[in-house]
Amino acid sequence: MSCEVPENAKHAGRRYTRGMMIAGLLYIGFVVLGVSVIRHMSPPQWLVIVLALLPALPALLMLRTYLIFFRALDEFQRRVQAEAALITLGIVTMAAFSYGFLEEWAGFPHVPLIWMIPAVVITWGASAFFVRLRYK
Amino acid sequence: MRNRLKVLRAERNWSQADLAEKLDVSRQSVNAIETGKYDPSLPLAFKIAAIFGLPIEQIFSADEAAQAAE
Repeated sequence: MSCEVPENAKHAGRRYTRGMMIAGLLYIGFVVLGVSVIRHMSPPQWLVIVLALLPALPALLMLRTYLIFFRALDEFQRRVQAEAALITLGIVTMAAFSYGFLEEWAGFPHVPLIWMIPAVVITWGASAFFVRLRYK
Repeated sequence: MRNRLKVLRAERNWSQADLAEKLDVSRQSVNAIETGKYDPSLPLAFKIAAIFGLPIEQIFSADEAAQAAE
């Protein structure tokens, strides 16, 4: 029997995977729906706003799924995740802050804020990897 | 903080995975505690002591105390 993670964490891991998959599918569905309606139906402004906000719902579901998973981790794993979260907060906010000045002052190309979540997810994953290495 | 986890575990022929299962934590957690890179919380330290059937101070000691004893 593999004991890499405790049984309750394994169960939480399955819930996490399921939750993230559902959120991912919802996200794709909302984006496809929004793009289709906006491009082909010339909807009123209020509907465009509603459609633009819909992808935030699966993003919130992802956050909820992650928090449930986080609470099921043991104290050491929570420490790793918390450190990774702090590092991510620092890197992503500093990168966004610095790039904002580059955009404003140096004419760098505009980067939509839509890339914020992918930036957080990728940085978080990389940070957690390096934090784990520190404790090996 | 120093600990005797590795020795105590070896005396009982337990792998890190065995101890992790008894403590309901990940193997990585046991490894991090054993190598002194992570100090467990008081509840987890008491749980470890209970599993080994020893007082907590016979498993964990402050660095300074350990150095003074040497």
